[in-house]
Amino acid sequence: MRGKFKDIVTDLAENDPRVIVLLGDISVFQFRHFQERFPDRFHNMGICENALISVAAGLASQGYHPFVHTIAPFITDRSFEQIKLDMVYNDFGGNIVSCGASFDYAWDGATHHTYFDLAMLRMLPGAEVCQPGSEAELAALMPSQYANGKTTYFRLSDKPHDIDLGDDLAFGRGVVLKDVGAPMTVMTAGPMLAEVLPACQDLNVNLVYFHTLKPIDQAPVTRFADTEIVVVQDAFGLSEAIAGVRPGLRMAVLGVDRMDRFETCYGTHHDMRAALQLDTAALRARIPTAFQSAA
Amino acid sequence: MDQALAKNIRQSILRASHRSGHGHIPTCFSIVESLIATYRFMDQDPQNPAAPDRDMFVLSKGHASLAQYCTLAHLGYFEVAEVDRFGAHGSTFGCHPDRLKVPGVEVSTGSLGHGIGVAVGMALAARKQAAATQTRTRQVVTLIGDGEANEGSVWEAVMVAADQALDNLKIIYDANKSQIRCLQLPDPAARFAAFGCAVQSVDGHDVAALLTALNQPTDRPSVIVADTQKGYGCQTLVDEMFAWHRRSPDADELALLMDELDAR
Repeated sequence: MRGKFKDIVTDLAENDPRVIVLLGDISVFQFRHFQERFPDRFHNMGICENALISVAAGLASQGYHPFVHTIAPFITDRSFEQIKLDMVYNDFGGNIVSCGASFDYAWDGATHHTYFDLAMLRMLPGAEVCQPGSEAELAALMPSQYANGKTTYFRLSDKPHDIDLGDDLAFGRGVVLKDVGAPMTVMTAGPMLAEVLPACQDLNVNLVYFHTLKPIDQAPVTRFADTEIVVVQDAFGLSEAIAGVRPGLRMAVLGVDRMDRFETCYGTHHDMRAALQLDTAALRARIPTAFQSAA
Repeated sequence: MDQALAKNIRQSILRASHRSGHGHIPTCFSIVESLIATYRFMDQDPQNPAAPDRDMFVLSKGHASLAQYCTLAHLGYFEVAEVDRFGAHGSTFGCHPDRLKVPGVEVSTGSLGHGIGVAVGMALAARKQAAATQTRTRQVVTLIGDGEANEGSVWEAVMVAADQALDNLKIIYDANKSQIRCLQLPDPAARFAAFGCAVQSVDGHDVAALLTALNQPTDRPSVIVADTQKGYGCQTLVDEMFAWHRRSPDADELALLMDELDAR
């Protein structure tokens, strides 16, 4: 997905001289052609996430459209106050593009696991939060949002799904993947769709997918509000977004939820999903009984 | 002229603090001359503070906002009487500045260690704009406190500014010795020089010296270490700077401090 990000930004930069890339010494090789093509609009600024955000806010204050890119926990957890104040409170805006979502870097341990970012950034007034699960989704979201003056978070994943969601992808719009009139609806977001879609294949459930967590699309939540809703997530944020649509939803959460501990295991993202019972087989077994186990 | 202006600004700070019940007076008093020099140095129009070709100032130590408000008022950005509602609910003038409310405020600050990083981005933007339009490079001045320089984000920003060789960035370091009871920063001039800046040390209460330093051309970010006193102008504030750090004078104290200002 990082390669797609580079392609999109390169295309945008061809037509928009206000596009600037600020890297935290990540994806530098990926952006080598961008650097050659636009040397004045490329800065590998260094491993200094606080400064990356503040400098981007300063650039945005003067009309530029900065893309800040580095590893997710460091640009979001460490620089949360810079994002909150310099970008959002000051209303300067800017684009934050992270890599290493959730357990993409499982082997690196808890310092590199990222599952607070979506929930944290979702709380910021006026901020936009995107969790594209595939390159096609990124291509649909980034060009429409990068220049709107807001603070927009694009959470890339190195482990995207490869499911074709069609051409009708648009920022802020959820995707109803399955509507069988079932009494239960599964809702998920981002790369987890790779596990959730096959898990739901033979279950009597409806399925809704989100690539935008803020603003959350209220229409599909409202449409299935009378069903039991099972949220499957590998990071905090989606369940809070859905719960905020309307009171009284009957909702159970599978995955990262009320997790009052660090996940200190290593391995791959597959290992982590298995450990959290978020792999396809586990989900297929857990979804039908989600309300029983939640109770 | 500048001494009279400085005295007027300090009197306005005292009055606004007394009327509002708010204010960090000693830290405001240490930067009055720096603010006067900064606005003398910059190309800015009080009648058009958002002019696209303006120079820009960022008060990184945002808790000294009252000094900036009173300076802006005396320079014609708005009426000084408006500042009397300082800190009140619904007031334009908060105890930390809001760029969306106050004409002439470029960045909303208050959390230390933020304004300087944004100023670096503004200076970088100004240089890009100048190159694209073949016009003069707009100048960016930011004022940071010595206590604020305890924040690691300050040094990240300075490193980036030096790495980008931002010769249009002026950093005034208000060396008012506010952190003598905690984390020390001995010889700040040497530290900023080691970080790649062009450093000048001046009397921070000498407007002419500050202005000369601001006008000194450099090929890298310029740091002006302004040697100042917290509470400069009122001996009571200088002698009891920690007791007065965040305090507003009652009527008797106001009279005393006004007398001390007059006595200088």
